Amino acid sequence: MLADFHIHSTFSDGKHSIPELIDAYGTRGFGCISITDHLCETETVIGRFATYLGRSLTPATFPLYLEILKSEARRAWIEYGMVVIPGVELTKNSVLNHRSAHIIALGIEGLLCADGDAVDICRSIRRHGGLAIAAHPVSTRKTEKQTYELWGRREELAPEFDAWEVASGPYLFDEVLESGLPMIASSDLHSLKQMTSWKTVLSCERHPEAVLNAIRKQKVKFQFYRDEVGNDGLDHRIDSSALGISHGSHSLRHFIIPETLKVGTAAS
Amino acid sequence: MYPVSILKPLKGVEEGLRENLQSFFDLDYPCYEIIFSIQHWTDPARALIEEMIQQNPQTAARLLICEIDLGPNPKVNNLILSYKKAKYDLLLISDSNVRVNRDYLKRQVAHLDTSVGMVTSVVAGQNAAGIGGNLEGVYLNTFYARWMELTATFGHACVVGKSMLFRRSTSERFGGIRILARYLAEDYMAGEAVRRLGLRIIIATDPIRQYIGDYAFSTFWSRHLRWGRIRKSQAPLIFFAEPFFGAVLSGMLGCFGFAYYFGVSPFYAFALHMSVWFLCDTLVAMELEPNPSSLFPLIWVVREFLALPLWFHTAIGKTVQWRGRSLTLKPGGLLEDS
Repeated sequence: MLADFHIHSTFSDGKHSIPELIDAYGTRGFGCISITDHLCETETVIGRFATYLGRSLTPATFPLYLEILKSEARRAWIEYGMVVIPGVELTKNSVLNHRSAHIIALGIEGLLCADGDAVDICRSIRRHGGLAIAAHPVSTRKTEKQTYELWGRREELAPEFDAWEVASGPYLFDEVLESGLPMIASSDLHSLKQMTSWKTVLSCERHPEAVLNAIRKQKVKFQFYRDEVGNDGLDHRIDSSALGISHGSHSLRHFIIPETLKVGTAAS
Repeated sequence: MYPVSILKPLKGVEEGLRENLQSFFDLDYPCYEIIFSIQHWTDPARALIEEMIQQNPQTAARLLICEIDLGPNPKVNNLILSYKKAKYDLLLISDSNVRVNRDYLKRQVAHLDTSVGMVTSVVAGQNAAGIGGNLEGVYLNTFYARWMELTATFGHACVVGKSMLFRRSTSERFGGIRILARYLAEDYMAGEAVRRLGLRIIIATDPIRQYIGDYAFSTFWSRHLRWGRIRKSQAPLIFFAEPFFGAVLSGMLGCFGFAYYFGVSPFYAFALHMSVWFLCDTLVAMELEPNPSSLFPLIWVVREFLALPLWFHTAIGKTVQWRGRSLTLKPGGLLEDS
């Protein structure tokens, strides 16, 4: 099943409401998604400012967020057979990219805190029964705020994370690909225009716990998804050179390479 | 026409309550019920409600006593049981101090379609008496009405708890009203929740009438201190910009600007500014209260000049008094007992 684990709604800086996202992914045949709105630090000026601007979850909006996720998860299951996993993106932004870090918590049930060190945050996520995922840990190759702190500390933090994003949009992160770290591919979707991106493909039961276990055990593959109205939505024009995975067979096993290759069409 | 359950939370007997409630018994609507709720059987409103239910057998109505305490918001606590027991999916939460026309419900329901999550109304302050009551009336019919229309124009309509029409099936999607018990402004948060579901909030074309009656200046002040502190905790950026949307501060800044750049007398510029502002506010107020008090100009001036000190008082604290409870507001409108 096709899955996307990094999506933003109007609860932070996304353009679409949770029901709109559920319908968008459900009608495209996704098997599992996680909505992961920003939860910013409360002890920094940038974090507070984001909160004032309504671009972060807060202790006040979090209960509504969880309730809407729960009810929409029920609807998604009934209408589309799609699993919806609650999540947040714990957001630590600094003016310096090397001191900025975004950590996705998947499968959480309670309010977490984005203040403190990354190690404490990851442990707190795991204590809540969730998965800690390093979001866009290297350059996203887009003109946007970058977050390099986690990558700079990857040796120290490796045991704390369940996966590292190998893509958070249409570009693959070569550094993550070569690192041998556990991986996940997502879209970091803020608008449906960003639907065309790398996604994770899982072959497990459609159940939140089974999905989380598949990520933990790295039973994952990655596929480039091109959002085109009128077809099945799956891009069949990917080859290994497009993936940028000429680096070693250990990476190659993660990718779905369709038989109908058209060599030379770069996903990126 | 969809059947409607009207939920009426009450506490005590306020001036004009009988007439306010009677207007709901007299609604011209084919199928509706009224569920009154009080939080304790000793509430003085109980006798009046029981008497009115007996006097109006043509309308399905009942009284519930709801002693549930789900959070610091007493209004939501009072509503929990009637919300659960309501017979119909379409609910109208209506405060005890509003009085409506016979076609009110028909006109509210007419706004509903599948893209609409909630219908609310502009409040027209009427029958004001005393200094506090008159100030309240001017506030509702000028500043407040203006803000409601302004926010609605920019697609961010505020919900007024005095009249909230919505489907229970919609509110269940954000956890039902029980989740609102932790907030002081349950109406604002209900609106936010509806908006997060991607649904629209509509301000009905007809205002509802709030019977203000006679109350003291201190009541007006404490009431607005509470409202202001809610706004501060829920939308701090807008709150801090608020004085610039009042006549006095904007007029002072404007007249100094005119004096500096064009050499116009600050006094004349300020007088002209206040006159134009007053004229605009009068036009808005006349839409809501066609027969304003002869004191309206005086009260308007007093309210405008009070707005700034009231704002300062609001800005320096975060505690509010509400229905005998002292509550501390936290960011986002969350409440905790002081």
